[in-house]
Amino acid sequence: MTASVATRPTSVDPRAPRFGAAITAVVLLVDVFLGVAGATVAAVVLLAAVTALFGWGAFAGIRRHPYGVLFRRFVRPRLAPPAELEDAAAPTFAQLVGFVVTVVGLVVALSGVPLAAPIAAGVAFVAAFLNAVFDFCLGCELYLLLVRAGLLGRRR
Amino acid sequence: MVVIAALVVAALVLVASVLGLLWRTTTGRARRVRGPVVRPEDLGTDALGARATLLQLSTPMCTQCPPTARLLGAEAALRPGVVHLEVDLSERIALADRFQVLQTPTTLLLDADGRVRGRIGGRPRPETLARELDLLLESPA
Repeated sequence: MTASVATRPTSVDPRAPRFGAAITAVVLLVDVFLGVAGATVAAVVLLAAVTALFGWGAFAGIRRHPYGVLFRRFVRPRLAPPAELEDAAAPTFAQLVGFVVTVVGLVVALSGVPLAAPIAAGVAFVAAFLNAVFDFCLGCELYLLLVRAGLLGRRR
Repeated sequence: MVVIAALVVAALVLVASVLGLLWRTTTGRARRVRGPVVRPEDLGTDALGARATLLQLSTPMCTQCPPTARLLGAEAALRPGVVHLEVDLSERIALADRFQVLQTPTTLLLDADGRVRGRIGGRPRPETLARELDLLLESPA
């Protein structure tokens, strides 16, 4: 007998968000390099681009993210069908977490602390790397912590 | 500065890899515990399994929860008297606090009395789950 959590909405191929996370991780690492090496403007501009992409995934939904389109167009046709689909809500929430981290870094960097750009990029890199390489979902654990802090969910 | 930047990049990759490997070695493993008794009303349900219950603590924002639910459901279906229950922690925050859940899914193995006898953080390894469940069924008290 199985009693399930509420119905699962739109699904994605679980490899699609990991494919996107891999690209994001590489771009963020380049951003860290630029920021620490002193190419401040380039680092901030690149971080702004990553922030915009996170925002796209967070607010338009992971399925409409450009990396998701890339995956479906060029990668998925070369792969076997997925063993299982996963709920789009979690990877979409992960995009929101990435968006918050990078937007904070961007704002602090633009208000005169340029090192904030590579720091935010470094934090976001760790999350994206863990997602891409180890299939670890940091957003999922953060969601649980927010629930426990009483910021999400219903207290009973 | 370029050398420092390269070192920072290398350090980041190293740290993230170590974190990932640590997570991979700990996730899905079972801990045998002797915890408190869970009553059906704690979960908003009528009854627990007659012999054992696989209590899955999930949230709606959890990529590993649906595959875990399928695994636990299948293992429960193989064994008479074993029930799989999935609880949404975002609707029962008290449970998350009571069992100090820091990871979803977390699976609690309950014996016939509803006592917590085992705990698995993350998506359980199928062979680990089967072994722990059979052990629990063989040693009811």
